[in-house]
Amino acid sequence: MEIIAIILGGVLINNFVFMQYLGLCPFVGVSRQLETALGMSGAVVFVMTMASAVTAALEIYVLAPLGLGYLRTIAYILVIASFVQLVEIFMKKAAPGLYKALGIYLPLITTNCAVLGVTMLNVRRSYGILLSTLNGLAGALGWSLAIIIFAGIRERWRLMDIPKTLEGFPLALISTGLMSLAFLGFQNLFKAAFH
Amino acid sequence: MKRSVFYDFIKGFIEENPTFRLVIGMCPTLAVTTSVVNGFWMGLSVIFVLVFANVFVSLLRKVTPDEIRLPVFVILIATPVVIVELVMKAYLPAMYEILGIFVPLIVVNCIIIARAEAFAFKHPVLNSFADGLGIGSGFTANLILISAIREFLGTGQITVGSFRFPQAPLFEPAAVMLTPPGGFICLGLLMAILNVLLARRERKMKAQAV
Amino acid sequence: MTERLVVSPSPHWKTDKTVSGLMLDVVVALMPAVLASVVFFGWRALTIILTSVSSAVISEAVYEKAVKREVTIKDYSAVITGILLAMNMPPGVPLWMPAIGSAFAIVVAKQIFGGLGYNFVNPALAGRAFLMAAWPLHMTRDWLAPGFFGGVDATSSATPLAVLKGAPGGTLPGIWDMLLGNRAGCLGETSVIAILMGGIYLIWKEVIDPRIPLGFIGTVFVLTWVFGKPGALFQGNAIYHILSGGLFLGAFFMATDYVTSPVTSKGRLLMGIGCGVITVLIRLWGGYPEGVSYSILLMNLVTPLIDRAMVPRYYGWKHEARKEKTL
Repeated sequence: MEIIAIILGGVLINNFVFMQYLGLCPFVGVSRQLETALGMSGAVVFVMTMASAVTAALEIYVLAPLGLGYLRTIAYILVIASFVQLVEIFMKKAAPGLYKALGIYLPLITTNCAVLGVTMLNVRRSYGILLSTLNGLAGALGWSLAIIIFAGIRERWRLMDIPKTLEGFPLALISTGLMSLAFLGFQNLFKAAFH
Repeated sequence: MKRSVFYDFIKGFIEENPTFRLVIGMCPTLAVTTSVVNGFWMGLSVIFVLVFANVFVSLLRKVTPDEIRLPVFVILIATPVVIVELVMKAYLPAMYEILGIFVPLIVVNCIIIARAEAFAFKHPVLNSFADGLGIGSGFTANLILISAIREFLGTGQITVGSFRFPQAPLFEPAAVMLTPPGGFICLGLLMAILNVLLARRERKMKAQAV
Repeated sequence: MTERLVVSPSPHWKTDKTVSGLMLDVVVALMPAVLASVVFFGWRALTIILTSVSSAVISEAVYEKAVKREVTIKDYSAVITGILLAMNMPPGVPLWMPAIGSAFAIVVAKQIFGGLGYNFVNPALAGRAFLMAAWPLHMTRDWLAPGFFGGVDATSSATPLAVLKGAPGGTLPGIWDMLLGNRAGCLGETSVIAILMGGIYLIWKEVIDPRIPLGFIGTVFVLTWVFGKPGALFQGNAIYHILSGGLFLGAFFMATDYVTSPVTSKGRLLMGIGCGVITVLIRLWGGYPEGVSYSILLMNLVTPLIDRAMVPRYYGWKHEARKEKTL
């Protein structure tokens, strides 16, 4: 039951973008085109899931037994940063087209606060390795859902004549607000079943 | 030409305002601005981290090789963040709970790494100090402005400690302002309004120049 | 650039349909429901509708004047938004709520994006969702018991859906009362017969595509029949479920909004089914008694993706390919 709760929670009910304010910079930055949004989603799903697993292991086997909880922030960010480097090197070799499309955003996953955010949430909820990984995956899928929906909407904006004062962030934030209003419909979904 | 230290401080409020002109650091801006007090403490934490990181990045800029500068930045940013975390946990445990994961997340706040990369790595210590203080204060001012609007509309009054203004809400507070949708829409509209005002000012200045 | 505008397969034919003509049809189709709301909830219903409509029209005019765009209040779209938002409110709400809701619907959900045709969510539903998040108590408690022409009690009364979900102190009205509209609920959603009259008129005038309402209501019927009763399959009170709440109003008047629903027939069917699935999800297992308006909003969000996935083949594309070769 907890597994379903985590997945539904991450994707719909407590969506990272719409309900938790996490990962907003790339959400606005990479959502102009559906193709790049999809590529970025793939990268985020991979990095967030793996980062959750790795940091959970680090927490359980190193930080907690040694009483180094106060070094968590530094340790996590270093793990995530080196992990992203690895993905970058791998992608450059294996999928140069995708690598080119994602451009500067790949290294920026390090500063995607959703990635560090989900690992911090895992610790706070004291999930084990399995549940942490699942939570990372669910959060990343929710983030991807949000950016794919938004990219679909934004592609239509190419037809319209946006005033300069609204271009970019103002309009993106207002749209995110409207999307988040719609996602309020999922609040407390299956609450009776889970608690 | 030597840059004026005062200019490096003051530019953070309008010209290089982190929220409205550079448009970075959106997540904490939205997450913590449900009350003025939260916004203030978050802003103070960011000022400390920013000044600390800027000063040390600037001090070490001549001995840091270009290739490994990013990992160095990350460590120089993570250190003050850990200090803030520990201090806040010890002295303001309630605030530490409210701000939640957004305190450790200062580490990945784009404002800080952007200032290290774009400014502190290229400028002397005093200027970097002023830059950190200025951008940080600008950020704090934004947080307080946004949270004042959201708290006022969302609860009908602004509460700081035992001080309340106005004493009783004058209207039925719109709870939506404290929720994510309200935050997004409020910040979006605020940005649009400021853009209109700035555009108008620029046009006026151009007209005067001609 | 122009090819993006072509979303339906050619050949096209010209009709005498105009935007304001279509919109006027919708206003006419809404009249039976407006009348029913006045019959069951008294003149108070009319003041809510008028406040909402005037706020919508004034907001549209003021915003368009302020940004120096052509004022488009004569296309009746703001009037429809105003009526629909009012139809979606409990009859006991204070009058400042429809005023604020309509202004939000018009300015934030529609005009900021460039006006009619560019909004990605239905403005009236965005207005309702905003009010729901801003003043939830008013939106979920200000129900009135129905009575003929102003004979409305001041006591609040639970809606049938809330009773189905276990609200205390309510009794379920009979099927005839549900059809006529003699029950608690939002202004315009109670009288299924009045809404059906308008809906059939719109289908007859070819203003809306029946696939969306039929897919929507059909899906709700099937799913509530299967899952409607906790602990037992295929025993849900499906007829009761489709007649209650805002299902008919949403299915005929809001899910069919041109701008925010898919353009292809298959896409429209998918829109209807998707709305139905989400509605049932929220009604049976969600945090609110009613899910119609959220379901339509959520399907609005994925409409661009549905359209993208179902772009029809150009009519006569072989011919075009041959021409390219000769060039």
